Amino acid sequence: MMQRSLLSAVVVSMLALAGCGGDSADDSAKGPTASPGASASGKLTVWVDAARLPVAQAYAKEHANVKTDIVTFDGDGNGATTLQTKIQLWNRTGKGWPDVVFSEQVNDPVWMARKPFEFAAPLEDLIPKNLVSDWPEASTAQCTVDGKLYCVQDNVAPVVLWVNKKLMDQFGYAVPTTWQEWASLAQKVAKEHPGYIVGNVGDSYGHWIYFWGNQCPLEQLKDDRLLINSADEHCTRVASMLDPLIKNGTVPPLSVFTPDFAKKYGGANDKVLLMPGPSWYAQALFDQTLHIPAGQITAAPPLQWENESPTTTGQVGGGPWIISKHTANPTAAADFVVWATTVFNPSGADARPGLPAYAPLAAKWLQMQAENPYFAADPTPALKTSTSQIWQGWHLVTYPDQPVWSNTVVTQLVAGKDLSSLLKPLGDALAQAAQAAGYAVIRE
Amino acid sequence: MRHTARGFRSLILAAFALFFVAPLLWLIVAPTKSDEELVTRGTFAFGSLHQVGEAWAHLDAFSDHIYRAWIANSLLYALSATAIVLATAIPAGYGLALGNFPGRRIVLTLTLVVMIMPAAALVLPIFLELNAAHLIGSRLSVILPFSFFPFGVYLAYIYYATAIPHDLLDAARVDGCGEWATFRHIGLPLGKPVVALVFFFSFVADWNNFFLPYAVLGDSKQYPIQVGLSNLLSSTPSFNPAVGGGGQQVNIFRPELALATLLAVVPVAIVFMLSQRALVRGLIGGGVKE
Amino acid sequence: MRSSESDEVSAPAATAAGARAVQVRGRRAPRTFPFVLPYLPFLFLFGIFPMIYAATLAFTNDTGAWAGFGNFERTFTDYRFVPALLHILLYTGVWLSLLLVLVVGLALLLHGRANRVSTTYRFLFYLPGALAGAASVLVWLFMLDPSVSPGSFLLRNVLGSHLFVESIAPGKLPFIFAMIAFWTGAGGWIVVMYGALNTIPHDLEEAARIDGAGPVTIALRLKLPLIRKWVAYMAILSFATGTQLFVEPQLVNQASLGLVPDTWSSNQLAYQMAFRYGDFNAAAAIAVDLLAIGLFAAVLVVTRTGLFRAED
Repeated sequence: MMQRSLLSAVVVSMLALAGCGGDSADDSAKGPTASPGASASGKLTVWVDAARLPVAQAYAKEHANVKTDIVTFDGDGNGATTLQTKIQLWNRTGKGWPDVVFSEQVNDPVWMARKPFEFAAPLEDLIPKNLVSDWPEASTAQCTVDGKLYCVQDNVAPVVLWVNKKLMDQFGYAVPTTWQEWASLAQKVAKEHPGYIVGNVGDSYGHWIYFWGNQCPLEQLKDDRLLINSADEHCTRVASMLDPLIKNGTVPPLSVFTPDFAKKYGGANDKVLLMPGPSWYAQALFDQTLHIPAGQITAAPPLQWENESPTTTGQVGGGPWIISKHTANPTAAADFVVWATTVFNPSGADARPGLPAYAPLAAKWLQMQAENPYFAADPTPALKTSTSQIWQGWHLVTYPDQPVWSNTVVTQLVAGKDLSSLLKPLGDALAQAAQAAGYAVIRE
Repeated sequence: MRHTARGFRSLILAAFALFFVAPLLWLIVAPTKSDEELVTRGTFAFGSLHQVGEAWAHLDAFSDHIYRAWIANSLLYALSATAIVLATAIPAGYGLALGNFPGRRIVLTLTLVVMIMPAAALVLPIFLELNAAHLIGSRLSVILPFSFFPFGVYLAYIYYATAIPHDLLDAARVDGCGEWATFRHIGLPLGKPVVALVFFFSFVADWNNFFLPYAVLGDSKQYPIQVGLSNLLSSTPSFNPAVGGGGQQVNIFRPELALATLLAVVPVAIVFMLSQRALVRGLIGGGVKE
Repeated sequence: MRSSESDEVSAPAATAAGARAVQVRGRRAPRTFPFVLPYLPFLFLFGIFPMIYAATLAFTNDTGAWAGFGNFERTFTDYRFVPALLHILLYTGVWLSLLLVLVVGLALLLHGRANRVSTTYRFLFYLPGALAGAASVLVWLFMLDPSVSPGSFLLRNVLGSHLFVESIAPGKLPFIFAMIAFWTGAGGWIVVMYGALNTIPHDLEEAARIDGAGPVTIALRLKLPLIRKWVAYMAILSFATGTQLFVEPQLVNQASLGLVPDTWSSNQLAYQMAFRYGDFNAAAAIAVDLLAIGLFAAVLVVTRTGLFRAED
């Protein structure tokens, strides 16, 4: 523990002495500043994942005076620790940091802002306040660490209920509004139309879909301690609801992104009736990954638990953009991030995959989706309302929880175990991961 | 009775041959099919050469032709490191086998001990060493560690100790040849098989090494092909769902991955073929009774 | 007691050979230190010094002060340590068994055969060796996917997996990795064993055959004990490399979208310790653990087979 802070202090002071990194080295509390009014130029290194490659390429094309070097990486997806290992390496050698990084892990900025990494630049001086105020409060709250803003999110990703309107009408089912209706519909589907599904639980973020929205305290900060209580009634009731559905095959433990899923449930004869999932599933998943034909899919508001009010839902992603504290070109870096989150909005097949976080852009994007011929009906009302329904009792932590869910739960679900019996191992494993990351954990 | 024994033997050998070769055959045929065809058509069915061209186009377009850089890096690392290995290990093996000096036994023992060390365990201290020398970030951070190949020294040692008749060298010395001349005119020419062997093992080991480059290289443009393959695997939606990506931006699916793997194997396969004879004959051949 | 004539003939020859041997290693042996000199910096920089450095790191803490067994304690009690250790021990056990039984068995089978066919088989067995590392894992990711694999029949009926995720179920992993390692590594060792079998003098084989021994008896009673040394070398080296498993679980971790953890093997845990947490002392402790296991196995094998007895 001591060595890391000592080492990073040494690194920072050495950088300061060497005068490297421009403004960023002078005072570790104050980040790089963008020159007001200056146009972006010079060299820019951007790390993006595959889905953000188009925005990076579009920026490079439209800004010829910025020499943009685009590096594609795994985006830290599914709880990978790629960025942690890379930043450690760069910090240790004192060079190599990119200027802008995109992360698929919404919690990445939390550890990036803190010791020993200290990679993220505070954005107060880089992005004008009037722009930042147009991001939803919940979104900027997730990017705020120790009182400072360290990222802006690319999109908001609340969980909604995706509906195959065509199939639902064909089978004569009503769209459920509560989890209970959804579960009993699933039982009906298993009897009347076996092979059709109403959801899935095999993704690395399955817990964010089913447990976050239903207020299960698996990652709740209480002052300076972390509450992980998988025995809480909010968790057990969800598991009890899901168990029979996993068993009868209407909620399989298979990831939507595997070729196996596409083969079994996708394609022209798709078997997806309903799918609780994030806003960015939209065309990216159903059309481009699962190849479900047009005129079938739409979105419905997130499911409510019985008659509990207000409805809370989960969140899957958010895509923070981070600017490096060590950037030599803060103007261009800020320009890139702002352009990517507030300007870039192509139409048609190249449309942004997710609901933009920046409100004015979100309005434009929603307008496009309302008119998108791919959908069977306008999905935007559900998308709009769900944005403000994300449960605020699930907080971002410095360690990835997706691998814990995958290793502890999904593998055992595939092997045929009950979700209810896996809650305790899940809680224990999450607690271990939290403790290894330095948290004081309380279990009830 | 003999026939069934022979038949049984043939069956086992053929079954294992199938086990070893079938995945390679699949790998060669896979890029000729599209991702769809991989699933729907027969596993060894041949697709079309046009499809291979498409797969290559996709692969090459990934990250600004970085695949080519990866192959070039692997060639650079393997060839330059092997050159250094040959220059150091062959004379060292010769010197250890056919001469004497204080500490000869120690060098031999240390070489053996280091050979058993888990190489991966050495990567971390080597990383710290390289960092102290400010070499991290340079290609030397890979080439220099690769140039240490104790197995090559040991091979050369065994070879020279068993395959070179002492009288030949004594005759040369009696004729007035100095040590270096003896080595150049007799030791080296007679050592051709072991040079081929050490070249082969060093090249293949360097080409296939994953852990060291993975740990010390921060810039993906410097990756050798093995690390590049893992980068490809994790950056492409076939195996890593981007939050909101369907893969159409990157276009790397299973045929492209198969092609990437196949092309990564070609240089080593070539070296394999060329070294076949030296391998099969030379490795133990030198240890045969006089 | 043979005839006195041959005694007289052999005695001078023996002394001559003895004298030659003394000459090579005695005072008149050439001083070949300059030949070894270029190799020495590499030996020290990338062999000896890292070994010592690793040991030092393992027993000191991050400020350089002596930490005794503190790092070992810390890593041992890490919740990922024991599972990773069990994984690689099971994996190494399976892999070594495969090597010892199948490699030696196949080499013996090949040795009794006609030469050209044997050469072809050896070549075929050897081919996958070109693919070690990431490439071989990628190939096997396809082989383990029932929807594209040529072995889908075996996958479905023997392994019981109808989906890729089932192929990489936690219980199957050590065997899957052992199979991949066997596929890439067996060919090379078969060639080595075959070469070792070739050093057995033909007269011995002939004598045994004349005495009426069948091929199986010859293989097991005659050939096998004579290549004992090589089998032992294979066991030692393979044990060391087996416990260092890294590439296979790392790539399967990526391909499985995190279902297989990135700390499945001890080496992966050491990597995460060093490069994610920046805790090089913990990583070194794990490395020393692996080294100790490797050395222990080596000593065991050496003493059990008398490996170094007939050494130079």
